[in-house]
Amino acid sequence: MGLVKKIVTWARIKSPWIIHFNTGACNACDIEIIAALTPRYDLERFGVQLKGTPRHADVLVCSGPVTRQIKDRLVRIYEQMPAPKFVVAVGTCACTGGVFDGCYNVESGIDQVIPVAAYIPGCPASPKAIIDGVVKLLSSLEESEKK
Amino acid sequence: MSKEEEILQALVKKFGFLENRIKTQRPRRILADVDIGNFKTLLDYAVKELRFPILLTMTGLDEGEKIAVIYHMASEDGCILNIRTAIAKVNPSLKTITDIFPNADIYERELEDLLGIKVDGLAPGNRYPLPDGWPAGEYPLRKDWKKNKEKVGDDHA
Amino acid sequence: MTMHKFTIPVGPQHPALKEPESFLVTLSGEKIMKFSARLGYNHRGIEKACEERTYTQDVYLTERICGICSHSHSTCFVQAVEEIAGAVVPNRALYIRTIIAELERIHSHLLWLGVAGHEVGFDTLLMYTWRDRELVMDILALTTGNRVNYGINTIGGVRRDLTSDQIKKTLNAMDKLEERTKYYIQIATEETTLIKRLSGVGVLSHKDAVKLGAVGPTARASGVDRDVRRDDPYAAYDQIKFKVITDNHNDVYGRTLVRMGELMECYNMIRQLLKNLPEGPITVKVPRKIPAGEATSRYEAPRGEDVHYVKSNGTEKPERVKVRAPTLANIQTVAKMLEDRQLADLPIVIAAIDPCFSCTDRLTVLKDSDSGKKRVMKWEDLHHYSIEWHLKHGVDFSGLNSKLSAKLAKVK
Repeated sequence: MGLVKKIVTWARIKSPWIIHFNTGACNACDIEIIAALTPRYDLERFGVQLKGTPRHADVLVCSGPVTRQIKDRLVRIYEQMPAPKFVVAVGTCACTGGVFDGCYNVESGIDQVIPVAAYIPGCPASPKAIIDGVVKLLSSLEESEKK
Repeated sequence: MSKEEEILQALVKKFGFLENRIKTQRPRRILADVDIGNFKTLLDYAVKELRFPILLTMTGLDEGEKIAVIYHMASEDGCILNIRTAIAKVNPSLKTITDIFPNADIYERELEDLLGIKVDGLAPGNRYPLPDGWPAGEYPLRKDWKKNKEKVGDDHA
Repeated sequence: MTMHKFTIPVGPQHPALKEPESFLVTLSGEKIMKFSARLGYNHRGIEKACEERTYTQDVYLTERICGICSHSHSTCFVQAVEEIAGAVVPNRALYIRTIIAELERIHSHLLWLGVAGHEVGFDTLLMYTWRDRELVMDILALTTGNRVNYGINTIGGVRRDLTSDQIKKTLNAMDKLEERTKYYIQIATEETTLIKRLSGVGVLSHKDAVKLGAVGPTARASGVDRDVRRDDPYAAYDQIKFKVITDNHNDVYGRTLVRMGELMECYNMIRQLLKNLPEGPITVKVPRKIPAGEATSRYEAPRGEDVHYVKSNGTEKPERVKVRAPTLANIQTVAKMLEDRQLADLPIVIAAIDPCFSCTDRLTVLKDSDSGKKRVMKWEDLHHYSIEWHLKHGVDFSGLNSKLSAKLAKVK
């Protein structure tokens, strides 16, 4: 059993599958997430693969302050992901609401709705910051598994 | 005479009610203020005779006693004719202009949602842009509207 | 066999657009009978927020209406405020604004080209254009300090000047990008697979484009000769020469050609602007309190015409800010484009009005209206379905993908 668990953990850290969800962002963080996946930054070299469905994903990458209309859909997508699951909030809006904090139609941050594992601030977060955040999340998983 | 002056002169000559209620704001910008009763006549004339075939957007303004609606119209050569009209704030209603501009549909829905203007003649369809389950009678762009946690929901629930 | 009518909600969100939305598509077989959109998933209440903040704060807020055409919205807003305040913006500032605007158009059109490639199953194109796009992102980061949301505008001018080193690097990048764009134009005009896949898809006749108020490349590809930069010039557009690109294909192929043509114009415009960049200050002081007044401002964003209306009341906060983004005008044409078309064309037709696409999952429920059975279909599946369907009908990009790789290897 120990060996199987070890292999699963190893696989998860070496090749996390992500799903990207726009929760009301201005699109700036979204294009930077895509930029991180295209040739210049190429997140795939860390084994990161973009998936189309939450049921296949380990990591939910969210951008945006969470609008009221999107809130229920975000929760639904989170619930569809298999455990263990991690949420990465990309951009200042996703972390705290950013410039939209206090607007009548936003929830001010992903963590108001679902638990967040990593926060990547920036307006927008640059691809370098996104890569850094993802790598830090992976190494923290590795450490927690060792304990 | 510049383009906007020509249009202004033509309008004043044609419609007596525009006297002292129309001005040029800057080159290529005209603002006309009309009563709601005269609005449709002016709109028809602007579209057909003055060649303002483009509806840019519609702006709703809460002015305290009344709600003003500005129809931003553009011509092919870059002039904008802003036609402004005002309606009562209690049970405000407008007639749709989707018969002339099919693209007014979305702008009229926006007026319904954000300012609570009832647009008569608008085809049934989805609301825009407020979320499903938004409480009735809450119009965020009205000046006296404040974010009410009990009605709209708490941010940090 | 009787044809079942299907109603498919595509949504809740379509991040290709600034206004994520969900679509309800009614099908007969594979043919689209009815299309309706539910917008507002991205409604954040910016117009109300603008009324509650100062003009300076609003510049940064309007910049975040859209991250792809951020400069468009902030320029459109400051233009309106400057008009009310009667501020005469220094010419050098106008030039710098125009340069950033055209750089933004380059990044946006390249982004769109990649997305369009992805939607038709030509992923090599996505990777190549996004790699080339990094060149212009570097220039934007160099000149403004940020890759996206540049923060270069301020009321009364711009916040950063251009140095001679930056000008040199920008010109260099333009040369490289021009060479690459020529190559993409060659692909678009010579490769029969691409032409076959894009031609006749998402047709919007000239008459409908005018009637439905289409804007930007969507309108210009239907032969509507409208461009705010020429018709109602702002910033430094009245001081430079450029062509307005139009096309009469009326379809996605036409929209591709228009955007490619505009890219070539962008390079020329930036060269002209940099060559004639006037000396002088870059800002003029504008008081914090803006006198009472109102102004309507227009701006030709990469996706089409952007309109802002600002009303001031003599305080440091605006009375009303109204924003009409280009996509809101264009989304109304999509229903027309999809009428009687195949479900398989849905992704590219939607992507063709607006360039940005992030590969988010869309939950799509297929509902059989007779039996009431539901089937969940994801956007990803729809995307694959689209490629498979066209593969069966003879559109195959695998040969082109490898051909492109071989060509690029030669260029290197």
